[in-house]
Amino acid sequence: MSGDALVATLDLPRANGELVFDEPWQARALGMGVVTIEALGIGAVEWRDALADAIERHGYDPGEDPASAYYAAWVDALECLVTAHGTDQHEH
Amino acid sequence: MHDHDHDHDHDHHHDHDGHHHPRPASDVELRARALEALLVEKGLVSSDAIDAVIDRYVNDVGPQNGARVVARAWTDPAYRDRLLTDGTAAIGELGYAGEEGHTMVVVENTPDVHNVIVCTLCSCYPWPVLGLPPTWYKSAPYRARVVAEPRAVLEEFGVEVPATTEIRVWDSTAEVRYLVLPMRPEGTEALAEEELAELVSRDSMIGTGLPQTPAAR
Repeated sequence: MSGDALVATLDLPRANGELVFDEPWQARALGMGVVTIEALGIGAVEWRDALADAIERHGYDPGEDPASAYYAAWVDALECLVTAHGTDQHEH
Repeated sequence: MHDHDHDHDHDHHHDHDGHHHPRPASDVELRARALEALLVEKGLVSSDAIDAVIDRYVNDVGPQNGARVVARAWTDPAYRDRLLTDGTAAIGELGYAGEEGHTMVVVENTPDVHNVIVCTLCSCYPWPVLGLPPTWYKSAPYRARVVAEPRAVLEEFGVEVPATTEIRVWDSTAEVRYLVLPMRPEGTEALAEEELAELVSRDSMIGTGLPQTPAAR
């Protein structure tokens, strides 16, 4: 599965249909995630589970911007998967 | 820059009590940068590849590809025929490849038929031509209601389909993705292909919208 196809299945933070980023690093984190997911051969279920775990760890703060919370968890999930997979190119 | 102390002094197994305080953004930002630097250093990703993805997503790429397909079909009858006969191949002619194994089927709106696409099971979507799906496309109400009462749903999108026009709803699957070829708006005879593409909205290719008219722009 390509990173694009995988990301297309996610509910990324949006407003009026357009992607929302509170700060530029969040767009960069999204791009980094797409490329890394593809390079490591991470599947949709694995990514969603990692992201869900990260969101749970992050906790809910009603005062926090949804995009900030989401991409904080995104970075967390990506760190976990990079740690789990190592940084060698995926082989199949 | 990737060697700052802050890098990976945490591990991922620390206990969380469910009341984790949100990290200040600057902290996450630094971690994101550190992670990118590590991945680039290891040769797993390149900054150029990341830039390319951001370009596509932030500019919400997708619909432009589909819009070019539609504009070409409006201006080149032979291309239109190929598009309706073999969508995958005709879209491929413009350089937009679907994912392996996906068949693209293009359905044409006419005065008699208005087409709408949905994925009733999940969120299958022709993303190589339309980009990332809008949130509502994946919502349960849209997926259920557009099948049961398409005319009412289209009205909520601001699309009034004449009573004499049949509405066809196309259910996408893992194998087959649909794209709507909207009708070319009146008053666009003088426009070039690139100008026409600017009139083609994402929703008009899903069927929940119509192309803009030159006057409205």
